[in-house]
Amino acid sequence: MTLLKLQSVSKTFGGLRALRDVSFEVASGEIVGIMGANGAGKTTLFSLIAGNATPSSGEIWFKGRRIDGSRPDQNCRAGIARTFQIVRPFAGLTVLENVMVAVLFGSSRERSRAKAAARAEEILHELGLEERKSQLAGSLTLSGQKRLEIARALATGPQLILLDEVMAGLTATEVNELLTAIRVIKQRRSLTIVIVEHVMQALMRLADRIVVLHHGEKIVEGLPAAIVEDERVIAAYLGSAS
Amino acid sequence: MIGRWTIPLIVALAAACGVPFVAGDYLIGVALSLAMWIALTESWILLSGLTGYVSLGHVVFYGLGAYVGILLWGEVGGVLAVGGAGLASGVFALAVGYPALRVRGPYFVMLTFGLAEFCKYIVIDVEAGLGQFSRLLLGGPSVLQLYYVVLGLAAAATALTFFVARSRLGYALRAIRENEEAAETVGVPVAFCKLAAFALSAIIPGMVGALMVARSSYFEPSQVFDPIVSFTIVTMAIIGGSDDARGPFLGAALLVLLSEILWARAPQVYMILLGILLIAFVLFAPGGITGRLLSRPVKVKP
Repeated sequence: MTLLKLQSVSKTFGGLRALRDVSFEVASGEIVGIMGANGAGKTTLFSLIAGNATPSSGEIWFKGRRIDGSRPDQNCRAGIARTFQIVRPFAGLTVLENVMVAVLFGSSRERSRAKAAARAEEILHELGLEERKSQLAGSLTLSGQKRLEIARALATGPQLILLDEVMAGLTATEVNELLTAIRVIKQRRSLTIVIVEHVMQALMRLADRIVVLHHGEKIVEGLPAAIVEDERVIAAYLGSAS
Repeated sequence: MIGRWTIPLIVALAAACGVPFVAGDYLIGVALSLAMWIALTESWILLSGLTGYVSLGHVVFYGLGAYVGILLWGEVGGVLAVGGAGLASGVFALAVGYPALRVRGPYFVMLTFGLAEFCKYIVIDVEAGLGQFSRLLLGGPSVLQLYYVVLGLAAAATALTFFVARSRLGYALRAIRENEEAAETVGVPVAFCKLAAFALSAIIPGMVGALMVARSSYFEPSQVFDPIVSFTIVTMAIIGGSDDARGPFLGAALLVLLSEILWARAPQVYMILLGILLIAFVLFAPGGITGRLLSRPVKVKP
């Protein structure tokens, strides 16, 4: 079943075309990787899906409903969560409160603060942050803040989660831990994931399918094994001889 | 938190109720002024302390309440005039809040300041058009009656800020303060929440404005819309600590005391001191007195 569908989506910022005619679909339960060099339009793509920005043209469909033009909080309640590449914790709130906000206002719209706190603690436990729950979010390490981004996104109770370079800047050990955590979390909640990642091996190990963007256009889409061999991808990354 | 602070607050309230039995008119006047500032500063914290949208025009609700109060008092009596003043300020906040709360940071500060000044001159013009440069309110309530009503409003404003801060809405407002885009992305309907806080923060200042006109039995637009009122509110909140319903008690008490000591003898010194205090606190103790004294350092594990 198709969960998310993009139909020739374009986005221009002033004279700059960040995305041009990008179309792809994501089926329920899939992990789709988005690849592309810096400036290829990956983060813009996430902002359009989450509602932080509106496409200049094209349509975005989620669960059979058109969502381009709706607000981020509406998309969140509909079941889309995202993390930010440049982490955006609620720095002056505790780690627990950060996650509680998401439980209180996400798709579950929990009314009781006690239940929200309990639910938030479970999620912090899954991401190995439970010992830091009383700490201010701004005092976490980068690795901790990346985990908090994921915890907060999960706490909204999404069906689709958009992970934006959650492994960038982490050590190899931290990447491995996080990969395992993401797999476990996905299985447990039957999540659908779209993931942008620079750490290539991570993407290869995680994704069912990969979409490659280059200068705002989709140049190829396919299985991870096929993608690494594709001439267009190699050319886009390394530059072509011709 | 409720447990630790309930008893001191009840004691403070009881003591405040007892003031008139032991104090003369002068001290009742000072206590009335203290209660007024606490009510105003608590209501400011509900908006600006929680959301980080720093308003430099909070006086607009006070002034509007004063104007509505003086217009209604003679017609419908004090109770309805004060209620009408609160309602008018709340409705006004709903009307201007939606466009005003779309801008953030220094732009919001300037906008609120400008809005208050704008309203001041509108009221001055309207009054001038009516041939009224000031209005008198005769036969108003006694200082003692006013004191108890304003004390009640101070208690109500404190309770409101305290409970909103700990409510579901409070979580949303603090998330907005920390990062509005992230708040929106985790499902917080930010425009609605900000507007709710703006309207809630406007009602009590409106009522206080109507009551303070009754206190001075005199209404003049440039006085009730005086921007110094806004500055004083901000200073009290920052000195006391703007993240917490406890802050205004300390901030207001300190400044009312200073003003009683200095205002009559050396008003310029008072204004200079206000500025110095504000700068000193912003630089060295941005959490205010409550933030400084009451916060325990968070243990950070390596």
